[in-house]
Amino acid sequence: MNENETALLQRCQAGDKDAFGPIVKKYAGRASGIACLLLGCPDEAGDASQEAFVRAWRNIRRFDTHSPFYPWYSAILRNVCKSRLRRRARRRTVALTEGHRDSSSNTDPVLLAERNERKDAIWRAVMRLSDRFREIILMKHFQDMSYKEIAAALDIPIGTVMSRLHSARRALRETLAGEGS
Amino acid sequence: MSCDEFVRMAGAYLDGELPDNERRRFEDHLAVCDACRRELAELKRLTEDLNMMRFKEPGDEELETYWSGVYNRLERGIGWILLAVGAILTLCYGAFKIIEEMIRDPAISVILKVGVCALIAGLVVLFVSLLRERLVVHKVDRYAREVER
Repeated sequence: MNENETALLQRCQAGDKDAFGPIVKKYAGRASGIACLLLGCPDEAGDASQEAFVRAWRNIRRFDTHSPFYPWYSAILRNVCKSRLRRRARRRTVALTEGHRDSSSNTDPVLLAERNERKDAIWRAVMRLSDRFREIILMKHFQDMSYKEIAAALDIPIGTVMSRLHSARRALRETLAGEGS
Repeated sequence: MSCDEFVRMAGAYLDGELPDNERRRFEDHLAVCDACRRELAELKRLTEDLNMMRFKEPGDEELETYWSGVYNRLERGIGWILLAVGAILTLCYGAFKIIEEMIRDPAISVILKVGVCALIAGLVVLFVSLLRERLVVHKVDRYAREVER
């Protein structure tokens, strides 16, 4: 983390809301992308990532400014998305009971910086993974987290990180092979 | 090293997460097994593609709108809390005054007095019940709580 960010975060801890702006703007794109993949819904991604920033602000005094901000924020974002998925699952149960279909999923890779056939196929394949596999793929490849960081975030041993990542990649390859990519 | 073991370790090898001794064993096996070399090449292609996936960076205008959204929520948070506290206090005081006036007024029939009292008591019970449910859910829902580093 650079000195500028540390200084901004220290100002945030002193209650300066304007200092939070550059932090939010720096991570907004990545945060919305991750939320989109976790929720499977681009429309909800912006709202969820904003909610996570609000929660981060409310807890900013608990944050150690010597640590990088993004991993801390990313854990909050993950919790926000999990809560939303749980609420959505409850709503879906009601909707299905009433004979409606869930229309909240959108697998279009709208938040990718560069698009080509292969990248679009990978995005769709990631979207099709189970929550558990998708989450670990996002942590490793989209957020560049080490096995140690993933293990800490998910509260699992490093050996489990290795085996889950292996299974997730295998599932991804099978899905891509099924698409003929 | 067996090929099965190799396949399980291939991802960690590409991620640079294998300890030195396992990495050496892995590379020894790689030198003599064509099938595993092909497997590794395929996996490498996937991991490289995944590592190349980048999210779109929003434009300045989008970022301003995004930040405004966050800023407004930060400010409104305090507003909503004050509004809720104010509304609860006002309603409680109002209900108390209504009951007090009604009980003192001999012109109002007993049935109406009992009815209004039951209505207000019912609202209080429902409010407390909902509040308790929310608190219990919040307590057991680990995803509702913040993380601390």
